[in-house]
Amino acid sequence: MKKSNLGNRLKRADKLDLVVNILVFLMAVVNLFPFYYLLTNSVKNSAAIFKMPPDWWPKTFQYKNYVDLFKGQPAFRWALNSFVVALITTLLVVLCASLAAYGCSKLHFTGRGVVYAIFIGALMIPKEIFIVPLFRIITKFNLVDTYAGMILPNVASTFGVFLLKGFFDTVPDSIRESGKLDGAGEFTVFRKLVMPIVKPGIGALFILNFVNIWNDYLWQMLVARSKNMMTLMVGTASIMQEISPNYGYKMAGAAVASVPMLIIFICFQRYFTSGITMGAVKE
Amino acid sequence: MTQHKQRRLRQNLTGYAFVGPQLLFFAVFTIYPIFEGLRLSLYKSTAVENTFVGMQNYINLFQDPVFIRAMLNTLFLVVVITLGNLLLGLLISLAIFDKKPGYVSFVRSTFYLPVIVSTVVMAMVWKFLLNPANGLVNYYLGKATGKTVNLLGNANTVLWVIAFVTIVASVGTSIIMYIASINGISTEMLEAAKVDGASKLRVCTKIIIPLVRPTTLYLSVTTIISILKLFVIIQLLSDGGPNNASMTMMYYLYRNAFFYNKMYVASAVGMVMFALAVIIAIPQFISMRKEG
Repeated sequence: MKKSNLGNRLKRADKLDLVVNILVFLMAVVNLFPFYYLLTNSVKNSAAIFKMPPDWWPKTFQYKNYVDLFKGQPAFRWALNSFVVALITTLLVVLCASLAAYGCSKLHFTGRGVVYAIFIGALMIPKEIFIVPLFRIITKFNLVDTYAGMILPNVASTFGVFLLKGFFDTVPDSIRESGKLDGAGEFTVFRKLVMPIVKPGIGALFILNFVNIWNDYLWQMLVARSKNMMTLMVGTASIMQEISPNYGYKMAGAAVASVPMLIIFICFQRYFTSGITMGAVKE
Repeated sequence: MTQHKQRRLRQNLTGYAFVGPQLLFFAVFTIYPIFEGLRLSLYKSTAVENTFVGMQNYINLFQDPVFIRAMLNTLFLVVVITLGNLLLGLLISLAIFDKKPGYVSFVRSTFYLPVIVSTVVMAMVWKFLLNPANGLVNYYLGKATGKTVNLLGNANTVLWVIAFVTIVASVGTSIIMYIASINGISTEMLEAAKVDGASKLRVCTKIIIPLVRPTTLYLSVTTIISILKLFVIIQLLSDGGPNNASMTMMYYLYRNAFFYNKMYVASAVGMVMFALAVIIAIPQFISMRKEG
């Protein structure tokens, strides 16, 4: 489109496109508002929070809410719990899923098709609907209120197998065969030759899974019984449900719970986009 | 012949060694719970009794008006949120896909932000915004209408609010998926259509929308499943109320299991939801199997 007669060329369809884009842009900006509201209210005092209409920019900055949060609640412990649970779950998922995906992609064994079909079939079944039997298992193994209780059921997720199989499928068989000719066993071939090639897939799975577990709520809430075993999400939600009008304090909790993921998102944005779209659809 | 058999055995052993760990976790925490859930749903177990009652738990379930309400509410949320997510996601993606990368990335990120910071935080912020005492939304709505407004406390509006908050907290995924899918369409085809003088509207409706159908299918299935298990937003925003107006199947399951201590009722609900999830997932399962 030449600039000289831009005005004439703006057909009705293009005008529609422009109007829609202005709306989309406005919505995009409005999306940021809850975070702005959260952060500004977390530094207001109670009087300022209850003020209507509100001060759009806080008149007084006070960090008391954050100090109260970390003094009154084991918030550091919650953050540590979240980190430990998310990290160990993710490491186990990456380990089991990469082995299984390699098996389903490269190895020939009886029942391979059936095993993979079952893994795929379970992808769409949410584990939440089985919280009753899952909780009974955890109780039987004495894992209530432990990290293991929070971690183990989530390793059963087969999303990683599905995601990584796509990556292993693209690795040519000649690489495996060359390793075999050098006398390497299957596991060595997997670890030394094939894994380095599928690193982008591992990275995407790692980040997606870490964030999912970090943000998981229902299962962690059921397993955590004592205040010290709560994860950040469970702890924050418990503050929220306290009957207390101390909103600034609650907002500080929500802010602390959201900041780590904001940082991860900003640093690893590319992996998110690739990971989410990867598993799903091929044209 | 025996050598062949031996090789075959070795191959099988290696194969199962690789899939073994995943299979073990899967068997204990996915397969076993299905059968255990089914078994529990056929018994009536309380502190004093544990008797086989066959289908009685299911019959009671479908005679409980609260459960019927929960099913209808779930259906309502499925329809509204799925339509909202897909239409809004597609519309936004179509609007921005041919613009400058910086703009695309800005829009995509701001919509994805609520997805990434967890529904717990999103639910908390919205709970504050909708608070009848000092929430912004109710304050300005109240000013505009001259009445006191409490959207979460009103049985007629609470489900709409939950649908709205859920869409805001999840439409980012649809946008990422649609943009990726549109970027996968050959640029030559889109260029050729432009040279032929086709307007953007025509390009969108005649070329892009039909070509992104696999994405639409995938998103429909994943959105519906995610609404089936919707929990945080219900618990933190409305707690199923007022008066069961926002009770869903998942929340009914949770309440029975961990509040009323009726594990057998919860197990029956779980099996009903399992059946629903299987039916919903079948089209997606078929298309995934075709690919890989």
